[in-house]
Amino acid sequence: MTIRLDRRKFLMGSTALAAAAGIGIGPAMSQETRMRLLFWGGQARADRTYGVTDLYTSANPGVTFDGEFLAFTDYWPKLATQTAGGNSPDVIQMDYRYIVEYANRNAIAPLDEFVGNELNLDDFDADQLEGGKVGGKLYGISLGANSVALMVNQTAFDEAGMDIPNRDYSYADLPALAEEWNSKNKRPGMKFWSDYSGGEPGLDNWLRQRGKPLYTADGQLGFEAQDITDWFQMWADLRAAGVLVSPEDQALDATDAIENTMITLAKAPVTYANSNQLIAFQAVNPDTLTMINYPRAEPGSGGGHYRKPSMFFSLGAGSQHLAEGAKFIDFFIRDPEAGKILGVERGIPCSKAQREAIAPTLDPQSRIALDFVSNLGDLLGPLPPSPPAAAGEVGVAFKTKSQEVAFGQQSPQDAGPAFVQQATEILSRAAS
Amino acid sequence: MTARSMHETNRVSSAGRALTPSRWSRIWSRNSAGYLFLLPWFLGFFGLTLGPMVSSLFLSFTDFDLLTAANWVGLSNYERIFTNDPKFAASMRVTLFFVVFSVPLKLAFALGVALLLNRGMKGLGLYRAVFYLPSLLGASVAIAVLWRQLFAGDGVVNDALALVGIQGPAWISNPNYSLWTLVVLSIWQFGSPMIIFLAGLRQIPQDMYEAASLDGAGKWRQFWKITLPLLTPVVFFNFIIQTIEGFKSFTPAFIISGGTGNPINSTLFYTLYLYQEAFSFFRMGYASALAWILLAIVGFFTAFSFLTSKYWVHYDD
Repeated sequence: MTIRLDRRKFLMGSTALAAAAGIGIGPAMSQETRMRLLFWGGQARADRTYGVTDLYTSANPGVTFDGEFLAFTDYWPKLATQTAGGNSPDVIQMDYRYIVEYANRNAIAPLDEFVGNELNLDDFDADQLEGGKVGGKLYGISLGANSVALMVNQTAFDEAGMDIPNRDYSYADLPALAEEWNSKNKRPGMKFWSDYSGGEPGLDNWLRQRGKPLYTADGQLGFEAQDITDWFQMWADLRAAGVLVSPEDQALDATDAIENTMITLAKAPVTYANSNQLIAFQAVNPDTLTMINYPRAEPGSGGGHYRKPSMFFSLGAGSQHLAEGAKFIDFFIRDPEAGKILGVERGIPCSKAQREAIAPTLDPQSRIALDFVSNLGDLLGPLPPSPPAAAGEVGVAFKTKSQEVAFGQQSPQDAGPAFVQQATEILSRAAS
Repeated sequence: MTARSMHETNRVSSAGRALTPSRWSRIWSRNSAGYLFLLPWFLGFFGLTLGPMVSSLFLSFTDFDLLTAANWVGLSNYERIFTNDPKFAASMRVTLFFVVFSVPLKLAFALGVALLLNRGMKGLGLYRAVFYLPSLLGASVAIAVLWRQLFAGDGVVNDALALVGIQGPAWISNPNYSLWTLVVLSIWQFGSPMIIFLAGLRQIPQDMYEAASLDGAGKWRQFWKITLPLLTPVVFFNFIIQTIEGFKSFTPAFIISGGTGNPINSTLFYTLYLYQEAFSFFRMGYASALAWILLAIVGFFTAFSFLTSKYWVHYDD
């Protein structure tokens, strides 16, 4: 049995529970292992997740799940509040950006003692396993590998009779391609490219092709003011060449919510995103979508992409059911039937056996995602160290700075040093 | 509480005598029913208002981050806010701009509509209800979402402007206009000050107008010499309430900017910045300090208004 909670049901449920307790017929909880599962995502992810918990509970009588899911931005305040209240869930969906913070504060449990027992990781991808480690200890099990990717409106390109850029295109090619697009495009008001000058993953990808990381292993900035100036200048040139959507339109996409991206608003046929999101983007786009890699920084440069653990499962440090939790994670990542329910919605499964089991069952678009991540080739570089705790705040500041440049309030020459100073201050404040 | 017991309680405390246990029990036995009925309110006040306020005051001197125990940091949160926080200054500017423009415009609009409605037209009740409606919906998420749709680049507002040949900008996502859309949203919610103005207008004695028109004063002059001066207590009340509301405004900016305060921090209301510090970056201690500063600022403005009120508010008694 799985209990699903959204806000309304929670209200009704808790009222009913209170009423039941009041008249002395409280549910018999004593002999059951009752686990709370918290994750972010939409309804599609929830359906798949609960499909797996149902499968698990039917094979393991006596175990029940209380599942709850929220949007990504609402998720972190909720998890932090529950953790602060000593009430953290048993199974926690964890992000690469937050895992260091939660591990360092002992809010999630190390999983090493379960490896080889409840958790069998023999055929698990080594790079994905490494991504879940903090200070040499395993704190999270990757639920799927993904990579940054551009969502592309195939239908709009087909209507224009134009080829989607191949994997070797670079930022330098965009003006010529945009010119072709502007002469052939059949969609009124649709510019060629999203303005991703404020997108931290885009900057990360571009810097890596220049041989620089966004953050060093000790959590410092891996780039210099000149890099940021170059980046903003490149986008300013693209803007001047009529390649990009207007800054006003781009600013509609304030939070990377899929509904407000340029591709969904039909302002551009491309949007910067992640490979596992094709399913979610397609769900709200009437046109057929596909995906390609981010542009190369220079013709021939590579190594910008990496196979990122899209998300982890971690166990709450205060959980009473750590071993059962580890067993559930094992089921989630290795069981073939579970894999068929989950598909590639959280990324490409990291267990070889599960990956092979699901491959024949995938729909065409899931297939695209699988092939994309498998065939990155020279675009692929090593996994960068997990970002420092204040990275999220730096990302917010970067977006605001990019808008200052896009709206003409600051030149790229001034914005580079200004941003580096701002980011340095944010990092040192978080470290103190 | 009966009038008699209230009187006696006042007498007891004003006499300054110590309240001995027997005295307490006497008060209790007389007023127990009243206190019992007040109990839900007491629970709410102590549990949900005073308790959190006290702990927030304590937290404002710590570095509490939700996940680890709070460390006492003395005044350093306050020190940073006043000496080294550009976002504090930016959000204060945005909030002051919002208050300075939205409050007077909203009051003027509310007064204008109240004057119209006060002319005793047919179906007054209906108009009053209709004009009040936006205030009821005011702070709701749905209205903010609607506003976002209306003022988006290809929203209804620009469609209407296109009819008269004007190509409107993307109101909500252009830093030059985004704050103005929030000001307009606030003005649109003029209902509750309007109702209060209307009640105030009803209390102005008609014979004053009759006397004035016999003396040859026109409508305009009557407004400046009779209506407005006699209405100043109501204006004052509305002004205070709306100023406090203005400083506290949060939901529209949160929804319209997706919680970011962008573009370029142009809609970064003080409360939104406070929310970001607390729930995006988990600096609960710092956010608590920001909250207390907001309370102090609102308190200052209110006290200042009260101090100046004796120069411009006319009570007829």
